[in-house]
Amino acid sequence: VSEKSGDHYDALGLSRQATREQVEVAYQFFAALYAESALATYSLLEPDERREARERVRLAYEVLRDSEQRRQYDAGLGAAHAGPVLEAPRQTGPRPVFKMAASKPAPAPAPAQRPLPSPPRPEASARARILPEPVTGPSLRKAREERGVSLQEIAAATKIGVRFLDYIESDRYAALPALVYVRGFVQQYARFLGLDPQRTSESYLLRFPRG
Amino acid sequence: VSQALPGALPRPRRQIWALGGGKGGIGKSLLTAAMGFELARMGKRVILVDADLGGANLHTCLGLAAPERTLGDFIRRRAERIEDVVVETGVPLLRLISGASDFLGAANIKYPQKVRVLNRIRALDVDIVLLDLGAGTSYNIIDFFLVSELGLLTVVPEPTSIENAYRFIKSALYRRLRHVASNEEVRQTVESALDAKNSLGIRTPMDLLAAVHKSHPDAAELFRAEIAAFRPRFVVNQVRDEGDQGIGHQLVAACARHLGVRSTYAGFVHYDEAVWRSVRQRRLFMIEAPRSLAAQDVARMARGLLQGETLELRW
Repeated sequence: VSEKSGDHYDALGLSRQATREQVEVAYQFFAALYAESALATYSLLEPDERREARERVRLAYEVLRDSEQRRQYDAGLGAAHAGPVLEAPRQTGPRPVFKMAASKPAPAPAPAQRPLPSPPRPEASARARILPEPVTGPSLRKAREERGVSLQEIAAATKIGVRFLDYIESDRYAALPALVYVRGFVQQYARFLGLDPQRTSESYLLRFPRG
Repeated sequence: VSQALPGALPRPRRQIWALGGGKGGIGKSLLTAAMGFELARMGKRVILVDADLGGANLHTCLGLAAPERTLGDFIRRRAERIEDVVVETGVPLLRLISGASDFLGAANIKYPQKVRVLNRIRALDVDIVLLDLGAGTSYNIIDFFLVSELGLLTVVPEPTSIENAYRFIKSALYRRLRHVASNEEVRQTVESALDAKNSLGIRTPMDLLAAVHKSHPDAAELFRAEIAAFRPRFVVNQVRDEGDQGIGHQLVAACARHLGVRSTYAGFVHYDEAVWRSVRQRRLFMIEAPRSLAAQDVARMARGLLQGETLELRW
């Protein structure tokens, strides 16, 4: 299992400041990397892994190429990172073209790790960023409704279909796509609500059927 | 007597550069000879070592007859000192330790012999030792790769070559990790990772790291450092167009994302009729056709490697 989580910028190896042209060039590169006939991934990835990687890149491109979609997406990311954050702080400056994955396989977050203090945002910090375990569809729905957010709003910002969001909230695993996608979906969903994306998706996916 | 000038750089340490690639027939020996030639032309004292025991032909790439004294003589102790099997190539500053007419199967070298060879190679009085590694992923080949300061992986734009390069990377890395593992259980995990169809579901170094971390977090920490230090450099040989040149960048990206290995792209060498013509005449294309595309590519790459530069994608 070597699928990646991470956001649309990671998918294209871009920094948050990437220009429209950079989005375009990066997409061309990664689309070629995961193309059906690509030499560099042909023997490295299984066909379905390659398809998933391709899909992830395409999804990222669809959002980042469109200035309006990208603005909404960025706003969602911004909100998620305004509250106390358990993840490593994000680099904001220009990043290397390729994110090195060597440091990626993150062990479970150390219990001793304290949330990093950061300027509180009134509406976000008032609420818990970590839902009680285990995170389920209904507990996600409850968190969403408490925040007065509609599925349509999340769908508009994340470009995830309302249908899928509803399946997530209903724990209808069989109706959902492969695990990698659902991970991305739940992370974006969580981010939009100001929940910790990593923790939320990990807990939710514990009950998701593998294979 | 050379007196260090104020502000003069200290003499760089001797370096071992290894050219591997897993697959045969992709031009490793020719590239080794060409790189050696170029480095010598730039004033470096270079010794080429034909470590392709059993399939040695580096001497032919240099237009030399099979030398009488070879690495095999040193391994079998027919030659006492490794210096005794070093031969001149006719190119100033460039010398050769041939593996010609050695019928040593790779498996025949025992570990202590290998250590002796490596130690003596390291003690040679030169600036750069270039090791031409044979095809395959046997321990002999991988161990030579792992002791080098700079490990170059040659590929050609063909599926089989690239598949072998990935296999080479995994084999080399797992060999290294197995070597540093102090715990028997961890060692076992590494060994099972070498089996592509292992029951633990380990397919990449990242998977291995995760598996080890569960039971031995300290070992995982050590592994992480080893993986981070493992930096193969790709050379794409026989490129025909820009798409082929881009394969190096793709390999680097794929290694980072899917293997967790930080490789770099050292350079590419064009497919070039001039090379082919020179090979037919048993002449080195660097001498026969110094202005050919391939010769210029090799020169650029050798310079880049000396200066620690790599090809990078910027956007």
